[in-house]
Amino acid sequence: MALLEVDRIVKRFGGLVAVNDVSFEVDTGEIVSMIGPNGAGKTTAFNCITGLYPLSDGDVRFKDVSLLGMQPHRITRLGITRTFQNIRLFSYMTAVDNVMVGEHVRMHSKVWDDLLHTRKARNEERVVEQRALATLRRLGLERYADVYARNLPYGLQRRLEIARALASGPTLLLLDEPAAGLNPHEKVELMGVISKLRDDGLTIFLIEHDMRVVMGISDRIVVLDYGEKIAEGTPKEVRENPRVIDAYLGTAAGQAARGA
Amino acid sequence: MPDIAEPQVAVDLPETATQTRRVESAAVFWLLVAGGALLLLMGWLLPWFVEQTASGIGHSPMDVIVSSPTGVGWLAVWVMGVCMLALIAGLGYDVYAVMSRRVEPFRFARIRAGLAVLGAACVLLILILVSSRTELIFGNLTPNALVDNAVWIMLTGFLLIAFAYGARSWVVSHGGLAFAAVAFAIGGLFPLMFHQAPGFVVWGAQSAGIYILLALGLNVVVGFAGLLDLGYAAFFAIGAYTTASMASATHGLHWPFWIIIFIGAAAAGLFGAILGFPTLRLRGDYLAIVTLGFGEIVPDMAQNNLFGDTGGPNGISGVDTPSLLPGLGRVDIFGSDPRPYFYAILVVIVLVVLLMRNVERSRLGRAWVAIREDEVAASATGINTVTTKLLAFAIGAAVSGFAGAFFGAMLSSVTPDNFQFAVSVTALTTVVLGGIGNITGVIVGAILVSFVIFWVLPELQGWMGTVGSNVGVTQLGTIQYSDYKFIVYGLILIGIMLLRPSGLLPSRARKVELETGAESEPLAAVQERA
Repeated sequence: MALLEVDRIVKRFGGLVAVNDVSFEVDTGEIVSMIGPNGAGKTTAFNCITGLYPLSDGDVRFKDVSLLGMQPHRITRLGITRTFQNIRLFSYMTAVDNVMVGEHVRMHSKVWDDLLHTRKARNEERVVEQRALATLRRLGLERYADVYARNLPYGLQRRLEIARALASGPTLLLLDEPAAGLNPHEKVELMGVISKLRDDGLTIFLIEHDMRVVMGISDRIVVLDYGEKIAEGTPKEVRENPRVIDAYLGTAAGQAARGA
Repeated sequence: MPDIAEPQVAVDLPETATQTRRVESAAVFWLLVAGGALLLLMGWLLPWFVEQTASGIGHSPMDVIVSSPTGVGWLAVWVMGVCMLALIAGLGYDVYAVMSRRVEPFRFARIRAGLAVLGAACVLLILILVSSRTELIFGNLTPNALVDNAVWIMLTGFLLIAFAYGARSWVVSHGGLAFAAVAFAIGGLFPLMFHQAPGFVVWGAQSAGIYILLALGLNVVVGFAGLLDLGYAAFFAIGAYTTASMASATHGLHWPFWIIIFIGAAAAGLFGAILGFPTLRLRGDYLAIVTLGFGEIVPDMAQNNLFGDTGGPNGISGVDTPSLLPGLGRVDIFGSDPRPYFYAILVVIVLVVLLMRNVERSRLGRAWVAIREDEVAASATGINTVTTKLLAFAIGAAVSGFAGAFFGAMLSSVTPDNFQFAVSVTALTTVVLGGIGNITGVIVGAILVSFVIFWVLPELQGWMGTVGSNVGVTQLGTIQYSDYKFIVYGLILIGIMLLRPSGLLPSRARKVELETGAESEPLAAVQERA
């Protein structure tokens, strides 16, 4: 049994089929990438997995539990968290507060605890703050704990979003174009961060455009084009797959590759 | 060819929460010194003002100068006056220094604190001189007039300034605490300061107190959770009607006030959640219109005598007067004297502020802010947006239930007219003026707005009548100034939007939808569209 099983999912927006009959699996401890040209349906597939969009057809199972019809916060509670392509931090909160929001699902204080500031709430708040600082430290953001998210440079905002996603203690981390907008130096750092997270026991599924990043860290790659899965395999297999070259470089290049 | 250098982002001076707290505390310092200066001027001028505008005779400290045979009082008043002018001039200097950035503000803080203490000592001296009836130094001056009108007010003003300058570094590092301490002290002294004007104490309990509670409650919905609510009066009405029907002849129930006040809050909270439910997928303008509808429906249902229980247009009259302790029979400190109500509502306000402070820095408070900023991201981070939003509506409404309970008990009647759209507008104006999302701010806003709308405007006709007959323009006294309150709301809102869009005391997270134009889209709306 794989950790995440995406089973023939379909997503239609009116007449447009954004994701068509896509299936793949992500196993525990893997780094799996999803690539494809712009508009191939990658982010839509992500949104379907995380409950942001209801599926038109098919099923998504996580640890053998169907996520069908589940609200995003319940999916997060099960252990899938994500980042967004266009960074969606709580920009008027400080970095540490952002991570503490991420801790939400791990906290147990009830409304009356929060209102009355009971011992339970106080203790939990203290523990969670320490844990949030530790999470920031893990991503090298500790000295920015008190900085408002909107004032962080772009690269650090991307990292802070990962920190927030980690705060809920997920088993599967979904990253939507984590390298977008980063400079080459930051990209190398990011690859280090991602591999380290995997070494810490996380499973990672990411969408990425930057081929150096994708080829550098992925165990397996899923390729989408026009909403359909056109290839799946190791970086080497995918790189040599004619259909992938078709999709990326045009048909002539694909035929050349086939001939070769 | 050299590589094109990547743009480097300067991160040397990022804005931090610590810096914001410092700015906020500085604002509290300004509030204290400005408030102190205002009180000083008020104490000096109020008796003169009373003389000019009312038929009664006021006694200003100047009268003491004229009528002090021994010279001690004469000296005290002069020293007091000099201290006052020096402090006000000093404040003017500070404002200039901060605005122009050319000279350093807050110089001679010690000397200023000393002047304020000296002034306070002079006030106390005058207080003692005036109160000692055996030695009639002031001739025909009635002691009480001076003591009550001017002396308490000036004493408070001097102490406020002495505190602000004397402990400036502490105030600037503990702004919230300093404000709370001062506000509580002034709140406690308020009935003393205005002992001679019971009407003003009634205003303090019935208008300021009620609107502070409403502002605190509405701040949860609009400020913390970012949900615009134009029908907040509905929950105020539900709280008031619930408590009134449990403590009047309508159902023959006469339950103790201190129990039904919680039932009223719970009922308002429940309806807050029920009415909040249909609005979950709405934001901004749409949410405002739906809540506006609720705000109109609830008083209309009361007007139409819902289930025969609300008494129609006449409402419920003969609401019980609260008793101090439910178990001990009727200990009637509550009656026609406004002071017990004032202190009771002060205690409730303090409790609500404590609850708000707690929740602001808790799991729930963070979840509200997260939803306000980006509902989709909040949901993906694991926050149940439905229950979190409903909790905001419920808790916000419950606070207004408290206000409603007090309102009914104080007026001893509840009618649909008390809960019209104007109440919702007033509450929203207080929140916007004070600083959306900032507890201190909305309290200041509530005091300012209720002072202008419910004290100055109604009194203005009387004042202008006297002024008009003095200057020979009698028409001034024939205008119904209260009719113009919506103009005042409009002016306040326009002014605040132009000059200071995030309010007098902006919230720590200074995100205001009205300012940035950015709104977080409800999760349900995103899912529905997909």
